[in-house]
Amino acid sequence: MASILGDLPSFDPHNFSQHRPSDPSNPSKMVPTTYRPTHNRTLPPPDQVITTEVKNILIRSFYQRAEEKLRPKRPATDHLAAEHVNKHFRAASSSSSTQGL
Amino acid sequence: MSVWNYAVTAQKPTCVTHSCVGNFTSPQELNLIVAKSTRIEIHLLSPQGLQTILDVPLYGRIATMELFRPHGEAQDFLFVATERYKFCVLQWDYESSELITRAMGDVSDRIGRPTDNGQIGIIDPDCRVIGLHLYDGLFKVIPFDNKGQLKEAFNIRLEELQVLDIKFLYGCTKPTIAVLYQDNKDARHVKTYEVSLKDKNFVEGPWSQNNLDNGADLLIPVPSPLCGVLIIGEETIVYCSANAFKAIPIRPSITKAYGRVDLDGSRYLLGDHAGLIHLLVITHEKEKVTGLKIELLGETSIASSISYLDNAVVFVGSSYGDSQLIKLNLQPDAKGSYVEILEKYVNLGPIVDFCVVDLERQGQGQVVTCSGAYKDGSLRIVRNGIGINEQASVELQGIKGMWSLKSSIDEAFDTFLVVSFISETRILAMNIEDELEETEIEGFLSEVQTLFCHDAVYNQLVQVTSNSVRLVSSTTRELRNKWDAPAGFSVNVATANASQVLLATGGGHLVYLEIGDGTLTEVKHVLLEYEVSCLDINPIGDNPNYSQLAAVGMWTDISVRIFVLPDLTLITKEELGGEIIPRSVLLCAFEGISYLLCALGDGHLLNFQLDTSCGKLRDRKKVSLGTRPITLRTFSSKSATHVFAASDRPAVIYSNNKKLLYSNVNLKEVSHMCPFNSAAFPDSLAIAREGELTIGTIDDIQKLHIRTIPIGEHARRICHQEQTRTFAISCLRNEPSAEESESHFVRLLDAQSFEFLSSYPLDAFECGCSILSCSFTDDKNVYYCVGTAYVLPEENEPTKGRILVFIVEEGRLQLITEKETKGAVYSLNAFNGKLLASINQKIQLYKWMLRDDGTRELQSECGHHGHILALYVQTRGDFIAVGDLMKSISLLIYKHEEGAIEERARDYNANWMTAVEILNDDIYLGTDNCFNIFTVKKNNEGATDEERARMEVVGEYHIGEFVNRFRHGSLVMKLPDSDIGQIPTVIFGTVSGMIGVIASLPQEQYAFLEKLQTSLRKVIKGVGGLSHEQWRSFNNEKRTAEAKGYLDGDLIESFLDLSRGKMEEISKGMDVQVEELCKRVEELTRLH
Repeated sequence: MASILGDLPSFDPHNFSQHRPSDPSNPSKMVPTTYRPTHNRTLPPPDQVITTEVKNILIRSFYQRAEEKLRPKRPATDHLAAEHVNKHFRAASSSSSTQGL
Repeated sequence: MSVWNYAVTAQKPTCVTHSCVGNFTSPQELNLIVAKSTRIEIHLLSPQGLQTILDVPLYGRIATMELFRPHGEAQDFLFVATERYKFCVLQWDYESSELITRAMGDVSDRIGRPTDNGQIGIIDPDCRVIGLHLYDGLFKVIPFDNKGQLKEAFNIRLEELQVLDIKFLYGCTKPTIAVLYQDNKDARHVKTYEVSLKDKNFVEGPWSQNNLDNGADLLIPVPSPLCGVLIIGEETIVYCSANAFKAIPIRPSITKAYGRVDLDGSRYLLGDHAGLIHLLVITHEKEKVTGLKIELLGETSIASSISYLDNAVVFVGSSYGDSQLIKLNLQPDAKGSYVEILEKYVNLGPIVDFCVVDLERQGQGQVVTCSGAYKDGSLRIVRNGIGINEQASVELQGIKGMWSLKSSIDEAFDTFLVVSFISETRILAMNIEDELEETEIEGFLSEVQTLFCHDAVYNQLVQVTSNSVRLVSSTTRELRNKWDAPAGFSVNVATANASQVLLATGGGHLVYLEIGDGTLTEVKHVLLEYEVSCLDINPIGDNPNYSQLAAVGMWTDISVRIFVLPDLTLITKEELGGEIIPRSVLLCAFEGISYLLCALGDGHLLNFQLDTSCGKLRDRKKVSLGTRPITLRTFSSKSATHVFAASDRPAVIYSNNKKLLYSNVNLKEVSHMCPFNSAAFPDSLAIAREGELTIGTIDDIQKLHIRTIPIGEHARRICHQEQTRTFAISCLRNEPSAEESESHFVRLLDAQSFEFLSSYPLDAFECGCSILSCSFTDDKNVYYCVGTAYVLPEENEPTKGRILVFIVEEGRLQLITEKETKGAVYSLNAFNGKLLASINQKIQLYKWMLRDDGTRELQSECGHHGHILALYVQTRGDFIAVGDLMKSISLLIYKHEEGAIEERARDYNANWMTAVEILNDDIYLGTDNCFNIFTVKKNNEGATDEERARMEVVGEYHIGEFVNRFRHGSLVMKLPDSDIGQIPTVIFGTVSGMIGVIASLPQEQYAFLEKLQTSLRKVIKGVGGLSHEQWRSFNNEKRTAEAKGYLDGDLIESFLDLSRGKMEEISKGMDVQVEELCKRVEELTRLH
């Protein structure tokens, strides 16, 4: 019977091919450089400083309900059709589902 | 000590909390990313193994970390969230080798109860949203837009309050989570929800599964095409999806970590609480799951993370033992294990307790820790500086110089050791019995002092004395040629290499000779305006036998000059400044960079980068190594070149990541050193010190040395007894038997060999809480006192404990007496010749009484109530500092006349303490379970009793580590005559395996460094855009306040890592010379 550990993934067959276990002079034992960023790209782009929506969940749901009441009711089939489209075009699903925000 | 403190890391955190694998540094490179408390390590997979690329300090404790690949990107991004509710998305820029912040933010909510089971941060496999569960009842969503940019986050109400795990499912049209939770009847279920981004709400998901294993604690999402989720319990593993349910029973175990093996998710590695590693296989046919299989593979450290790397090699990250690199073999070995351990990565965490001792009696503290947990428990001996392992030594007074010589230039080993004295030269050589024996080199002068010796080309040896240079055959040992100093002049200083000799005679004559086959040619002679104090022609160019440059140090104008050989053309003259003459110069190269080192008569060392083509010196830096003249010498160890600086405070100078580092050598004073690589003592050094010639090998060149004593059980308290040269530990052993029982012991160990000498088993349910070595009034014996608690499953707090008093007799623990207590003995202290114990909420003082029959007993004298749990106690004189479970620090005083303990003052804050220490009569140090350290001050000047009874908070700082113990002491040898030697220090040990130092600075120095810290904050930016100020601010559930009274030594010392340009920027801003800044910061690095 083949080993349960047969066919283990190999991404690059060279990796670990020359590994010598516990070689004390191995440079990997040396203390790695500690990163000290001094460049400006350490600060995120201004539009990528993320905060949480301030609106409380409860208040948000009140508004949502109020809006729903005001809005003329759409036929349910409309909604389902949108779902259906998503199922067919998975790759586009993230964009279609986020555009509404 | 003072209120002006400096907190710095001596040993970075070592325990691995998270790890992940992906193409982070480039699309072609596979990386292992490891999180260790507040640091991230980036490794590269290579044919040689794991290569560490970078150690990234983060201004936060890492709560979750994941790699992900946004749409359209060629390489992975790293998502990191910190425990203080910050997150960042990092990208590696291959071109500049820099980390770029793609996004960051604050995900805290003003209202919310932080989750009990830790924070959860997950990323949808289709990269549509990031999900965070930080507060009970809330699930936070950060959506991605179609360009992979993050958008404003929003919260969704999560009905399940006791969440155990949440994971995103694969293959869903909308982002879908599976939630593992416990209901109010303690039953566990899994529910799924779709995240509706439009409505910002959950929609009931495709399936749910009720009534799972009561120990179910972990979800593993299975990738497409199988999809679904694995629910890992303590007795069963279940596979669940919308259309399948498979379950298998397992041997009872708690799974702590998992790692996916195959990309399609058909095999997983599971690591359990006992360190056993299993393979879980999902069998499937035509994308339908048909069953589950589980197989034991073998044993590793207790895993906290498992990452499959490549070609059957797996990284096992551990917080309880050493992390490991393992290989999964196709076939089991003789013991049935498929696991082969390739490499171990040292982990000190959790440091539960430690003591500081001077084991080698050299005036330097070593830290001995109780490290690790359960079967991975160990003792670790942590020592700063480089040790010399003595092989042989002889008494020899008045050594003025030493050189080793070979009998032929091609030989691998040195044969002769030339030792020079004020009026003679002796030659030692190894004889057949491998003993050092005096011999003769006929051609050498032996009745005068030797100024320099060297092996020379054509199997020759060269000796320089005050009036001649002698060239001798190394085979016949006979004189082949000689050069005499001109009449009336004597040679003052000389140096040589295999083919060149440079010497200086009185009157400033510099003479250059070249060595041929039996010839010694004076090539050049120049007259300098002043006397020469030192010189060097160590070859650093391509030719190992010939130097293009000569370095010469001068009297009078206090300069160092660079000459080109053979013409002795002056190309550089560098004024050193000051009044101290250079005493030793050295040309050397480290990691491809050439340096000129110049040691002064007062123990300072200057270093310059040397441009070998034009002789230009730049990037001048100055450090203080000792207080007396330094002699510099190169030596090799493990095929790298280092420099030995012999002085009253010997040090090794070496280079790591193109930065010069200075490590202390653990010897008191060394006057001369020369490498002596003989057949009997390979790779050794000959060291002249204190009237002795020692031959020894040198430790690995690194700053901290860690020795591991595996004990296979969990040591929780340690104490050293100098008189008996023993350690006592209190530890627990987990029996692998069915009922998971633990047994507790007090064990005695030899302080040198760390062998177990004797053991004392504690009663059933009894565990050791404290341990102390002390002696009592009117009794010359020293005792070990052990405080215990009976931990009964039905009791909330122990109501019974014991104090056991042992004496060490012939290497055995002998119980002298025992005293029953009404609770757990959390702490024991020697106090005025008596024993002070903290027992639950009470502080109790015991006298050591002689009974009529001559036996001894502990007799209660007085006590003090008024604590919740008096967990940590320290004493000083008549003062007692108590660290309470939740009432911060209170200060008690013992009144001798009344025989009573009274409260003197307290800190009225509600800090949940983890350790206390007394800095001086007025200042007390504490840490809490929110990772802060703080100092409080006794108020002596208060007008009213009420004011005097209130301790003032004078310092607070977020250390970001869970501190378990403070101890007074130092990791470095302190010289009484150096400034740094005057700075008192406290060492601390933490759960993540970090060892830190708190140093009390003079106010002036603190103010100076505070300015430097402020400047550095502007130059060194927080990784991920995180703020240093926010990170170091004191923070608990109630309050956040700016740090005060503490400086971040790690930030300040990173000044030395900056480029020259950035250093100058700071120097300008502060109006202090770069050289002065470097020197002052370098001095601080010598505190640890």
